[in-house]
Amino acid sequence: MSDPLLRVERVSKSYGDEQVLREISFEMDRGDVTVLIGPSGSGKSTMLRCVNRLTEVDSGEIYLDGERVTGPDVDVNELRRQVGMVFQDFNLFAHLTARGNVMLGPRQVLGLSKEEARRRADEQLALVGLADQADSYPAELSGGQKQRVGIARALAMEPKLMLFDEPTSALDPELIGEVLEVMRDLVERGMTMLVVTHEMSFARSVASEIMFLDGGRIVERGPPEQLFERPEHDRTATFLRRITQLHS
Amino acid sequence: MSEPVADAVREGETATRTIPAGRPLVVLAGGLFWGWLLLRWLNDWLGGLFVPRGEPFVSPEAVEALGAAVPALRGLFDSTAFAVTYLPALSAGVWLTIVLTATSIALGFVLAVPLSVARVYGRWTSYLSLAYTELLRGTPLLAQLFVIYYGLNFVQYVPPLLDGVFANNAVWAAIVGFTLNSAAYQAEYIRSALLSVESGQLTAGRAIGLTKLQAIRYVVLPQGLRFAIPGWTNELIYLIKYSSLAAFITVPELFQRTNAIASDNFRYTAMFSLAALLYLALVISASRLMNAVEDRVAIPGLGARGR
Amino acid sequence: MTGVELPPIALQQASDWAFVWENSGYLFAGTALTIALTVASVLLGFFVGFPAGVVEVYGGRASRGLVETVGVVLRGTPIVVILIFMYFVFPTPDLTIGVLGVTASLSGAFLAGVLGLGLRSAAYQSQIFRGALQSVDEGQMEAARSIGMDKLASIRHVVVPQALRRSVPGFQNEVTIVLKDTSVVFAIGLAELLTRSYDLFVVRTTAVLEILLFASAIYFVLTFTTNRALDLVSARYAIPGGESA
Ligand SMILES: Nc1ncnc2c1ncn2[C@@H]1O[C@H](COP(=O)(O)OP(=O)(O)O)[C@@H](O)[C@H]1O
Ligand SMILES: [Mg+2]
Repeated sequence: MSDPLLRVERVSKSYGDEQVLREISFEMDRGDVTVLIGPSGSGKSTMLRCVNRLTEVDSGEIYLDGERVTGPDVDVNELRRQVGMVFQDFNLFAHLTARGNVMLGPRQVLGLSKEEARRRADEQLALVGLADQADSYPAELSGGQKQRVGIARALAMEPKLMLFDEPTSALDPELIGEVLEVMRDLVERGMTMLVVTHEMSFARSVASEIMFLDGGRIVERGPPEQLFERPEHDRTATFLRRITQLHS
Repeated sequence: MSEPVADAVREGETATRTIPAGRPLVVLAGGLFWGWLLLRWLNDWLGGLFVPRGEPFVSPEAVEALGAAVPALRGLFDSTAFAVTYLPALSAGVWLTIVLTATSIALGFVLAVPLSVARVYGRWTSYLSLAYTELLRGTPLLAQLFVIYYGLNFVQYVPPLLDGVFANNAVWAAIVGFTLNSAAYQAEYIRSALLSVESGQLTAGRAIGLTKLQAIRYVVLPQGLRFAIPGWTNELIYLIKYSSLAAFITVPELFQRTNAIASDNFRYTAMFSLAALLYLALVISASRLMNAVEDRVAIPGLGARGR
Repeated sequence: MTGVELPPIALQQASDWAFVWENSGYLFAGTALTIALTVASVLLGFFVGFPAGVVEVYGGRASRGLVETVGVVLRGTPIVVILIFMYFVFPTPDLTIGVLGVTASLSGAFLAGVLGLGLRSAAYQSQIFRGALQSVDEGQMEAARSIGMDKLASIRHVVVPQALRRSVPGFQNEVTIVLKDTSVVFAIGLAELLTRSYDLFVVRTTAVLEILLFASAIYFVLTFTTNRALDLVSARYAIPGGESA
């Protein structure tokens, strides 16, 4: 068990002339919770999407569990099976119930029988506190409930790593708590999580490391206390000040 | 009766827009087509301005001779010679097709505006309008033409003033049929466009002291009619194609002429390919023209095409 | 289509409405053909048009270009020209099919009618499905891919079920257009409802209006019931609570 779970090595990505990621490198061990912060457009989503290859890197390498996942010969579907993703705007399958949303992956990708998939879906829904909403369609759920279904859907694939892209940004303030609570539970169960969020108190209490991204570069990184109490860069300090003001 | 808005439309005519706009070849072909058509009409109306009436501008034999000179392209030249032979006769049919379409869509519009306003803002008139549009949209256009031409023997009612405008008075029957039919479809397009104008607009109009009718006329319609343009484009294209049904009540438009020549020379494939090409040219031209119109009248900042 | 014995046109002197009544069997047999033409053409249109729509959204450059070009030609040409083309250019022989002792003969004109109406409808249906597929939010595809489904499975299990629901109003509209346009097979002499009406009123010229009104009423009932039936289908498959996700 010498390999880190996730190793990102000098990853760069451009869209046209705009360089979105510049030689990003970092590592995560099992059970780590790494929080990515940074202004809008700094490349946070792009970084996450490179990990499960919804976006392709231009250069650099990414390794999951010691295996290279960048490169043409990798089975991306197998990779995505092992890496769960939670989206800012939920992206629940609109035509399926909460249970149907969670079952689809186990049925189609893992090839479980209908009964097995159903059992697994109900388990996961119970873990996010939605046992009683299994038969509801997305449009019948609140934002917080939708996002919890989104988390259950990703967890049902039994991933090694979970990616969260601003999971609470689209939520009304009073619904944010229920989603963060589910995420806290997950941290306690030892899930490795790479999280983009601007919920600073959450980040502070669960992160093993916080990385501040700006202009496609990691400007500063470190344990939460260090970043919050003694930021080395002015830009980090300014950003943190603005973000905490905004959220209080 | 609540219906989905899309129920009203003759779906998807806008699809001809998929050809990219500035493709030079298309523009060149369009220029050639309309240039030829205008020259052709001028020539034939003015009693043979350049060549005798109905005679091709270029002799088919000359084209065929060219083909003999370049054996590899022989087939191409032979087809061109065939087209050259028959296009003059078809160009007169194209004229009638355009006249039928343009007249009917314009007259249909005149009927459609009150129909749609009645449907949206009227009380009992709204049921009248609904009944009219449902009946006309619920039965085939060809049956409607038959009712007018055979059933009502419409030709006998053509007033003396209009008698003789066309060689065949059946053209008037066709115009009436297309107008009544098109009014129903146009009314549906305009209705959904009116519904898409915010209700606050009518209120604001009333608030400054306009009567309801004035508010509709000066505030809602100018906005709503702009929204109706895409639907209206569909309707125009639809009419160009369906004007061919006038052939079945003896109107010598493009399809009728094609059919007459084909049953004479038995070259159905070639003749109808030629007709299809002409219709395509008309349809594509119309959709281009309407796109341009739409851009032209767009209110800045309003609607999908507004800037 | 029919192996049905046609009732001969009744010619006795009677009032014009009585004439229509006496020949209603003849007209209803034409109605059956109208319905058969509509169903066959809409089905052909679906089985060609749906894949065509998928190709227009997800296909490669070449296949997309081909589908789009054929589509523009079919959508830009009058249905009567298309029907004549099918009838004269691809002369289809009369077919006799025997299944389990029941034989049905399909006339060349019927096949030409189905091909013409069906392929033209496919060109329109492809646009309906293309629009519906494109209207499904991109996030749906991404979410499906992010749990490891391949592109085809994502299209099949996530995008298509939603797109099909959104296609219903357009499809409804298309069915009624095909239904009304079956009357244009008059041009190739296929004995459906309008052709039979014509055949009747040329022998009884005093009853033209009565016959045409009767036929129009049948068409109206057909379009009206089709619309209401598809409304029910639409309501039956609507996603509870709407489509936001
Ligand atoms: N698919 C794309 N095409 C073009 N530009 C993109 C695309 N995705 C992201 N970008 C650009 O990359 C930059 C970083 O985007 P993103 O990673 O979403 O930032 P963040 O999540 O930090 O707000 C932005 O300027 C954005 O406009
Ligand atoms: Mg982002």
